[in-house]
Amino acid sequence: MATTTAALTISSSDLVGDALSLSTSKELHKADTTIGLDQTSGLANTYLTATTNIDLFGAIIDTPAFEGKSHWVYIHNKSETPTEYATITIGDKVVGRLYAGDWMWMPWDHAQDTHGNNKHADIELAPSVATGMWFEYCMIHEGMQLSTAV
Amino acid sequence: MATIDATIAIASDIVSGLAIGKTMTMKKADSTVGLELTTGLAKRSFTSTNQVDLLTFNTGVAADVTADKSAKLYIKNVGSSSTKYFTIGKGNSSGSGTESTIDSSGTVYYRIGRLYGGDWMLIPWDAAGSNIGDITIQPSSAEKMDVEYMVFYE
Repeated sequence: MATTTAALTISSSDLVGDALSLSTSKELHKADTTIGLDQTSGLANTYLTATTNIDLFGAIIDTPAFEGKSHWVYIHNKSETPTEYATITIGDKVVGRLYAGDWMWMPWDHAQDTHGNNKHADIELAPSVATGMWFEYCMIHEGMQLSTAV
Repeated sequence: MATIDATIAIASDIVSGLAIGKTMTMKKADSTVGLELTTGLAKRSFTSTNQVDLLTFNTGVAADVTADKSAKLYIKNVGSSSTKYFTIGKGNSSGSGTESTIDSSGTVYYRIGRLYGGDWMLIPWDAAGSNIGDITIQPSSAEKMDVEYMVFYE
């Protein structure tokens, strides 16, 4: 069984009157079990040169075999230019913006969409500029459906 | 201006060399100025499986969290169960034990994912849009379940 641990530390010495310090850590398990996740996309590093909204991870919900399974997603905007951000969406619904240097970590459920428009629950990213932006992203999971070759 | 650092560390033996370590300093939108507002660390308990708003559009902190502003949302299931979880979503909560309909053609609701005991998440949050800005939460069990959450914003 594989073991994956996700740890977080948030700290600030000047946000509130006293120092803020928060730490947490958790092993990532398959849904409804204590069995560790054993699959990953690997850590991808990509350079995008258009503002086109793209799929980082596509969810194929025609047969929602992986709905309710455990998936964790990490995305990092590697830009160092404050005005360069990425808009992160699920389907076509905005989660928020990742500004320069920001990262995010969230669970992802391949939720079945009731509308047959193929938008599904894809995790999408749209850079704010076409002059080139670097991103890192990774998914750790217990399985997902892959596209049939055409 | 405050300095808020958030560091993620992922260690895994799924494949050789899979390790992530990254620190972000939370900043205002399009700026090098640090975020300086927070809700503080909040805690809520739930004793039903009703889907409700954890954070509501245009109410409280969410009134300041618009598309062109920066905000980070931290949520943690502080329980220890491997079978009880919170379903986190964005949009309109149903107010009942039935999850809102997921329909990408509308601007109603979508599911993000599940937080089992001890699981945490940290995401950017855009609360703009009357139908899609709310952060929703739904416990999987009517037995008491606790969640902690905190927003950092400008």
